[in-house]
Amino acid sequence: MPGWNLTGVSAAGKDGSSPDALSVSQAVDMAAGALDALPQLTVLGEVTGFRGPNARSGHCYFQIKDDACAVDCIIWRGSYAKRTFELRDGMQVQFTGNFNLYKATGRMSFVARSFTLAGEGMLRQQVAALAEKLRREGLMDDARKRRIPVFCTRVAVVTSLSGAVIDDVKRTLRRRNPLVELICVGSKVQGEGAPEELIEALGRAAAITPAPDCILLVRGGGSFEDLMTFNDEALARAVAACPVPVVTGIGHEPDTSICDMVSDRRCSTPTAAAESVAPAMSDLVDVLEARQRRLAVSMTARVNAAENEAASLRTRIERATTSYLERLSLALDAAARRPCLSSPTGMLERRSADLMQTADRLTSAISRSQERFRAGLVGSAPRLAATTSSFAARSHALELAASRLAHEGRAAVSTRASELAAAAASLDALSPLKVLARGYSITYGPSGVVTHADQVTSGDEVRIGLVDGNVYATVGTVERHEGADGSVQ
Amino acid sequence: MAEMKKVDELTYKEASTELELIIRNLESGDLELEDSLASYTRGVELLRSLRARLEDAEQKVSILLKDVDGGDMLVAGEAADTSDELKF
Repeated sequence: MPGWNLTGVSAAGKDGSSPDALSVSQAVDMAAGALDALPQLTVLGEVTGFRGPNARSGHCYFQIKDDACAVDCIIWRGSYAKRTFELRDGMQVQFTGNFNLYKATGRMSFVARSFTLAGEGMLRQQVAALAEKLRREGLMDDARKRRIPVFCTRVAVVTSLSGAVIDDVKRTLRRRNPLVELICVGSKVQGEGAPEELIEALGRAAAITPAPDCILLVRGGGSFEDLMTFNDEALARAVAACPVPVVTGIGHEPDTSICDMVSDRRCSTPTAAAESVAPAMSDLVDVLEARQRRLAVSMTARVNAAENEAASLRTRIERATTSYLERLSLALDAAARRPCLSSPTGMLERRSADLMQTADRLTSAISRSQERFRAGLVGSAPRLAATTSSFAARSHALELAASRLAHEGRAAVSTRASELAAAAASLDALSPLKVLARGYSITYGPSGVVTHADQVTSGDEVRIGLVDGNVYATVGTVERHEGADGSVQ
Repeated sequence: MAEMKKVDELTYKEASTELELIIRNLESGDLELEDSLASYTRGVELLRSLRARLEDAEQKVSILLKDVDGGDMLVAGEAADTSDELKF
């Protein structure tokens, strides 16, 4: 090659090449060595051209850049697997690793061993992790969210007392529903110590007596970092544990803080939060009007019902009275038709006739029986007289009979007495006792008085009766007189 | 209607709740006429009071402040600006 001095550097070497010239490999080796000599670096850059891990190898190839420069970046599959978030274009990420030169192409890349989100991205990631943690603990469950009364009449507002937000809330509720009593509890809402102040303010608000119906935890719009206070874990737990239901309105529409997630009601702005705690006055007026109508309608209905009831009762009582009167009237008619009432004298006349007949009979019967008794009496007197006329004759006859009876009695007795004396004398003369007294005795054998010898046999027991006693003896021998026929004295 | 507090002593919410109860009772039609008349009278009274409160409602704002002993006390605060002009 001719010795053109193309570079302005003095050319050396016969063939136009400097004896110091290096081969590409040498040069690349040198560069690679220089790069390797660099310590591990942490580089902050924006991800660009990220298309996810390579489908075949699983490594990621993309670029990181800032306003002026860009560099290729590689994350090996193994490192990428340890990621805590997905890379996306536009992310601000801190990559920790080393530069590397791929000698085959001479391309320099930054090989990141690890990477973390930087700045707001990092904060957002932390917030997301905290949200996930609290969600797992159940702090965001719908079931544990308390019901906010439709009409909170006593509301505590926890926010900065110096900002515009407190005025917004007051104005909103003054327009919407001035019946809502507001209790303002001031607190820092951003910066150092803000979460602690807010936690204390929540506690103070909940301790107010009488307790408020709900607590408005509100803050106006701001940067992500400004709103980070409301992503504080301790504050979020205080919101969840607050004994009074908490309504949040933090920042503007798209902002969602962890306090929003764990509160009992989340509203997009402080104004929306204020509006949500009480119905508008116009609604209350509507409700009252509706109630007035309902009151009137129901009362009218009740009165109408009572009227109908009264009317129906009246009809019934009229009907009942009428039918009762009709029944009575029928009964009266029937009674009136009975003979005792239709001709009251009839009965008396009939009885009177009966009585007259009876009287007639009585009169004639009496006179008849008087006649009869008189006739009987007239006949009886001479008969009575006739009966007593025979009494004297009969008395005389009785006297005669009495004297005859006395005479005859005496005669009969004296005759009998003389006869009896004669008989007694004979009887005395004939008495066996007199015979016995002369020495005779009577022998009694087994068959009575022994008159004949054959009436006893030897050995018989006999009794011999004497005039003054008995002798008991046993028969020795019996001796019968020949020719005696038994007539013994 | 066990206890009949004076209407003025009821809070808006208590009065409102009682009114709703009265109306429901009346609507059920189960009340004796005398009771329903009494209820109606009470209802009208409540309604009148609630209306008046809506018309005369004034915002009440207080501020919870720490006193010297560190305890909390309520201090009356200013109600919202009554002008409807938006301030920028």
